[in-house]
Order: sequence, then C-alpha cells, then structure tokens
Amino acid sequence: MENLFESTSLIQRAYWLIRLRWVAIGALAAATFVASRFVAVSLPISALYTIAAVLLVYNFVLYDLLRYWTWAGREPSERKIGGILTWQISADLLILATILHFSGGIENPFFLFFAFHMMIASILRSRRQSYLQATLAVLLFGGMIVLEAAGVLRHYSLEGFAAHELYREWTFVFGTLFVFTITLYLLVYMTTSIGEQLHRQQQGYERANAQLEGKDRLKNEYVLRLTHDIKGHLAAVQSCLEIVFHEMVGPLNEKQKDLIERACRRTSKCLAFITALLRLTRMKLTGHLEMEHFSLRNCIFNALAAVQNKAQGKSIAVSHQIDPDVDEVLGEAVLVEETLTNLLFNAVKYTPNGGQVSLRVTQDGPFIGVSVADTGIGIPNADLPHIFEEFYRAENAREIERDGTGLGLAFAKQVVERHGGTIWVRNNPDAGATFVFTLPRDAAQRQP
Amino acid sequence: MRQGRILIIDDDPDITEAMRVILENGGYEVDSALDSAAGMNRLKEAKPDLIVLDVMMRTPQEGFELSRELKSNSLYKDIPILMLTAVKQKTGLDFKPAAGDETWLPVEEYLDKPVKPGVLLEKVRDLLRRP
Repeated sequence: MENLFESTSLIQRAYWLIRLRWVAIGALAAATFVASRFVAVSLPISALYTIAAVLLVYNFVLYDLLRYWTWAGREPSERKIGGILTWQISADLLILATILHFSGGIENPFFLFFAFHMMIASILRSRRQSYLQATLAVLLFGGMIVLEAAGVLRHYSLEGFAAHELYREWTFVFGTLFVFTITLYLLVYMTTSIGEQLHRQQQGYERANAQLEGKDRLKNEYVLRLTHDIKGHLAAVQSCLEIVFHEMVGPLNEKQKDLIERACRRTSKCLAFITALLRLTRMKLTGHLEMEHFSLRNCIFNALAAVQNKAQGKSIAVSHQIDPDVDEVLGEAVLVEETLTNLLFNAVKYTPNGGQVSLRVTQDGPFIGVSVADTGIGIPNADLPHIFEEFYRAENAREIERDGTGLGLAFAKQVVERHGGTIWVRNNPDAGATFVFTLPRDAAQRQP
Repeated sequence: MRQGRILIIDDDPDITEAMRVILENGGYEVDSALDSAAGMNRLKEAKPDLIVLDVMMRTPQEGFELSRELKSNSLYKDIPILMLTAVKQKTGLDFKPAAGDETWLPVEEYLDKPVKPGVLLEKVRDLLRRP
C-alpha cells in the first residue's frame, strides 16, 4: 500500500510542482502578452517578462537538482525531500507576491492564487509547516498592500481594470487583508484536518493488512505442520502396502492383489496431493528462491522429454519453437522446469488423442515469454478467472480426471510471480487453451 | 551368500519394519535403531556395510547431524549413507544436487519417502558395489 507521506510519493509531488510551475510560467507570459496587446490595461511588461524568465531558470535548476538527488534510484531522506518542498512553496509565495506587485497589487484578483499554495502545503507538509506558510503569505501580501497604500512601495495600477485610487483606501486594504488572512488560515485548518484523517485511515488499513498477513502466515504454518505429519503416516502405510503388493511376505490371490493395488493407488494419489500442498505452502511461507544462472533451454528440453511418453501414448504431437536468443536466465532452475513440465503435462492430459501441443519461447526485451497451446477441451469461461486459485478445478477438467490436486496451476503462479513474471491463460478461438507466462531474464532485481 | 549388513536408523517403527522386510527379501542382514544414540551403539557393536538414515527424527536436523558426525569419525567415514527424507518440503532445502558434497551433506545418496521397494534395493545395491 502506498503511503501518502512516504518519501517516494513526496518526490513525485516535488516533480509535480515543477510541472505545474512550467504551466504557470507559460500562463504568466501569455497573460502578460494578451493583457498588453489586446486589453487596454497598463502593465510593466518588461518586469513581468523578467519574472517569467527568472522563474524559468529557477525551475530548470530545481529540476536538475531533484534529478541529481534522485539519480539512479537513490532516495533522499523524507526530511530532505520535505525540506525541498518547503523551500519550493515559500519561494513560490514570494514569486506570486512579486508578480502581484507588478500587476496591480490589491487590484489584481489573482491574489486568490495564494489559496492553491495553502492547499498544496497542507496536503504535503505538516500542520505546523502549513500555518507557517500561511503566515508567510499573509506577511508578503499584507506587507505589499500596506506598503503600497502608504506610498512606501511603488504601486503599479491596473489602469482600465480597477478603480484608480482603491489601493489607498485603508478600510478596503485592511478589510481585504482581514478576509485574506482568515481565508488562508481556515483553508489550512480544513485541509490539514482532512489530510490527517486520511492519513490515520491509511495507517489503519496498513495495520489491518499487516494483521491479515500475519494470520495468513499462521494458517500456512498450520497447513505445513499438518500436511507434514499426514505425509509421515501415509509414507508408512504406502511402504507396508507395497511390500504386501510385491508379495515379499508371501503370495497373494487375485482378489487380494487387486484390493491391495487399489489401496496403493489411493495412497499414492493422496501422497501426491499432500506433497503438492506441502511444496506450495513452503513456497508461500519462505518466499525464498535459490537464484542461479541456468540454461532455460535445458529446462525446456527436460520438460519436453518428461511429457514425451505420455504424449506418444495419446498420439499427441508436441512441437516446439524456441527463439535462438533464449538461453541463460537468472532464477531457480528446478522450479522453472517444474512449472514448464506442469503446463505441458496439463496440455497433454486435457487434449484428446491425436491432438497437438505446441510450446513457444520468445525473447521480448527484458522478458522471456513462454506459451503452451493445446487443441484440448479448453476452459469454460466461468472457470477462467479462478483457474489459478488453490484447489480450484474447472468443471470439464474434473470430468476427465477426478483426482487432480487443483494445486498445479497455483504452484505455477507462485513460481512465476516469485520470479517477477506473470502468468495467464486464454481459450483458443478454435479449440483448446493457451497458457502463457513471462520471466524476467534477470529475476534478481525483480524479486518481490 | 552374505550380501551385506545394513543398519537402519529411523524413528518411525513402521517404516523401519517395512524397509527391514524389503532389505531382508533382497538378501541383506538388517539391524535397526530408533534414534541417533541407539544408532551409535549398534554401530559400535557391529559395523555395518551401509547405513540407511532418516533425516528427521526428534529434531528436523538429527539425521544431518548424525551424518556429519559419522563422516568426521575415521572409524565410520567409509560406511556409505543412504539418506531418507521428507525434508525437502519441510525445511525448504532441496539438497539433491548437493548429495555427495562433503561440505554440505556428507551422504552418498538420498531418497524421498516413501521409497518404492525396487528403488530402495537398487540404490542399496549400487552403493555397496561402489569402490
């Protein structure tokens, strides 16, 4: 969950302020141009253009500084980036006051723009900081209009826009300043209140999320313990049955042999299920990959070899097409090979005799794309969104094989996502389904 | 003909019994112990030609520890060890590639439980035939 107050998002906000400033500079120049050319308003044009130019340089410098501080993924401390934001906002207040001074002072209704700075400060900075910025704005604006009224500072009248002598009316000056002041403080008060409430809410969500993660972990540990114990017992049962089945303790009659064989088959299925569940749970618990550079090409051929017998038994043609660039990747070879084997086995399993399975491996920038397409039974649309969930089995898959674990694809998803890739499935227009997954060539940098 | 003496160290009495039947069927003489300490005692009494060792007994590491102890003891270091395990999933260590690597897991072979009778006999025969 992204935190509004984390330094990363503060950096994004700092860049956002810079982008806003480009717009403001353009608007200032354009407004000056339009007002001086097409509207009969008198303006100290050169002063305003100079301010726009200074602002342009200032923004470039700021942009470069920010890029330098955040260069190559460096992340400046929250304190530092917060300081940068504070200075930016203060400088912007000063610039706005200067622009107003040269464009009519109190006569220029653009003084309302101080409100924007208060909102930005209130959202991005602390309550105290925001009140300080409001005070600075009041001092700058108030100082300007009072000094102009007193004749200490030169007044640039907006001839043709506002009544000429208004800026000297003390009642008007103090009245405006009074409303200006309470508006800014109220704005800060309201915005920071809402901001803090949102922040508290966010912290609440984060806590709830952490608690859920903790509970999920407990559940996984429980499953691990349980399945491990069951596996121990099953292994013992299986070992004893096998001995009887192989007639190591004496001959069996036909019926006995048949029954023992049935029992053996059921215990092996149960063991396969327990083993799959153990592996999936272990992966979810540790989240740790034994990273090494390995040949994906070898993994692919191993996986193809693993399904060959089964495919031949069903007269299914397994074709493959591998991009010549594809070879070494960083990841856990055993897991990737198993995922590949898994998908190929599924494809063969759910494709009728005489069908086709094709494996394609392509290199696409930093990613490798692997797709396994078959001409099989496909996946009913209703099942598509759930197919990677644990224990979920599509309706038509259950009809073909009653005892599948429903864990193979969940495991594949875990493996692919741990490597920083994604996995998805789609039905082919004519028949069958295509499973696709991507793997970053260099999974190390992407491991979550 | 005496094929060889095998010591099984495993805390599961049923699996031990099953393996005893399989190995005796294969013509081996079988001795067994239910934990490391008992295993060491049996070793001292009669030196076996091969040890079948369960990796996880009372603690998840007991089998590992015993195998290291045996391999660092000059009296026993030449006895081949066949390690049986369901540990691959439990500890998160897939140590198949490391089997035979003395620094990590000083055993000659490893098999995942449950072991098929044919596979067990084949591995045992292989290990005993090695020079």
